[in-house]
Amino acid sequence: MRRLQPKKLLTIITSRAIEKMIIEALRKRGVGGYTVVNASGAGASGIQSGMLDSDSNILIYVILSEARLITLLDDFDDMMNRSYRIKVVVTDISILPRKGAATSKNSVA
Amino acid sequence: MDIKSFATLLDPAVLFFFLGIFAASVRSNLEIPAPIAKFLSLYLLMAIGIKGGVALSVSGLHVQMLVGLGIALFMAFFVPLYTFPLLRRKLDGFNAAAIAATYGSVSAVTFIAAGQFLDNHDVEYGGYMAVALVIMEAPAVIMAVALAAMTRASLAKQDAGAAASIGKNSSTFSLRNILHESFTDGAILLLMGSLLIGVIVGKDGYQVMKPFTGDLFKGLLAFFLLEMGILVARRIREMKGVGPFLIAFAFCIPVLNAVIVITLSQLAGLSAGDTLMLAVLAASASYIVVPAVVRVAIPEANPGLYFGMALALTFPFNVVLGIPLYHQLIQLL
Repeated sequence: MRRLQPKKLLTIITSRAIEKMIIEALRKRGVGGYTVVNASGAGASGIQSGMLDSDSNILIYVILSEARLITLLDDFDDMMNRSYRIKVVVTDISILPRKGAATSKNSVA
Repeated sequence: MDIKSFATLLDPAVLFFFLGIFAASVRSNLEIPAPIAKFLSLYLLMAIGIKGGVALSVSGLHVQMLVGLGIALFMAFFVPLYTFPLLRRKLDGFNAAAIAATYGSVSAVTFIAAGQFLDNHDVEYGGYMAVALVIMEAPAVIMAVALAAMTRASLAKQDAGAAASIGKNSSTFSLRNILHESFTDGAILLLMGSLLIGVIVGKDGYQVMKPFTGDLFKGLLAFFLLEMGILVARRIREMKGVGPFLIAFAFCIPVLNAVIVITLSQLAGLSAGDTLMLAVLAASASYIVVPAVVRVAIPEANPGLYFGMALALTFPFNVVLGIPLYHQLIQLL
């Protein structure tokens, strides 16, 4: 029986236009697994209706270890200093590892 | 003034645009699903691309075409150049650069609406206008990114601590990146591809596609404008805090750009159809390609301003009043 393993869930809310940039930042830090979901909503940039590419938001979900998260947070901090409009949310979660506790140390979903 | 030009307000496509505005204004739940809206915009680009390509295969290359493309390219550089200092009077350098890029670039839907207007008036225009649409997309963004970089540099001079971020932002979006984003954008790629296919298949080959790209065009354009009406009305509500300067900019700059193009085109001896299409391209503002590129290249700018002005103010102005107005001006000059 697998044991629950503590992980971090990183949720990024941003414009679809920024997606490539975020994915590139993840890739540079060795994170190959992520989930992107189309989203609509409103915020400081006004309504994001989701009907035009230039008017659409996305949610990016990444499950990762705390060590890797910290390096990524540096990247996002840098992007926010450069005025990129991104929201970064970190949640403590537990996951059932795919390959068992011993081999899943570096796994990401 | 000839009232006939403004009779286009009774065109079904324009009326559906009003219906969309009305639906969103009364907070109706009428909504076009996003994948269908995407399909409609791609369909329209494919249809005008192939139509332009077929027209090009018939007309071939000619001097007028080069003159028309020259005017298009000139306007793509000139508009950001003269609007930037104007905008700087009221805005910071980043927002000024972003809005200058938006108005220097073009709106494909406005272009399509103008083509429909000319079809309704039995006025022909050159197939190369689709090429003009494509070449006007990128120059304004390139100039705006350069202007934003200059703003960053001057800010960094004032604040030594910000110096590190200049290099980072400018390296994030190079000239190569902008050209790549502009010309590989799905819409532009489809438009250019359809244009090429139109040139290859010619008039005979077009007959096979006509039931899809020709006969259905008007109905699907009306459906797409219904969606645009909904989008516009939702955005208009957010434009209350924009201020009179930018509202006046969103309505006056398109007319000024159109007048410049009409004057140049008349001097160059272009046909009335080509002149109107070029005027509409110069008068339109991009709300799809440019905002997506500017969000990455000039993150300091507020998308609520440059996107909102192009979509909620300039787009409906051009579709409803601008196109017939420019047509009238061409008749007068």
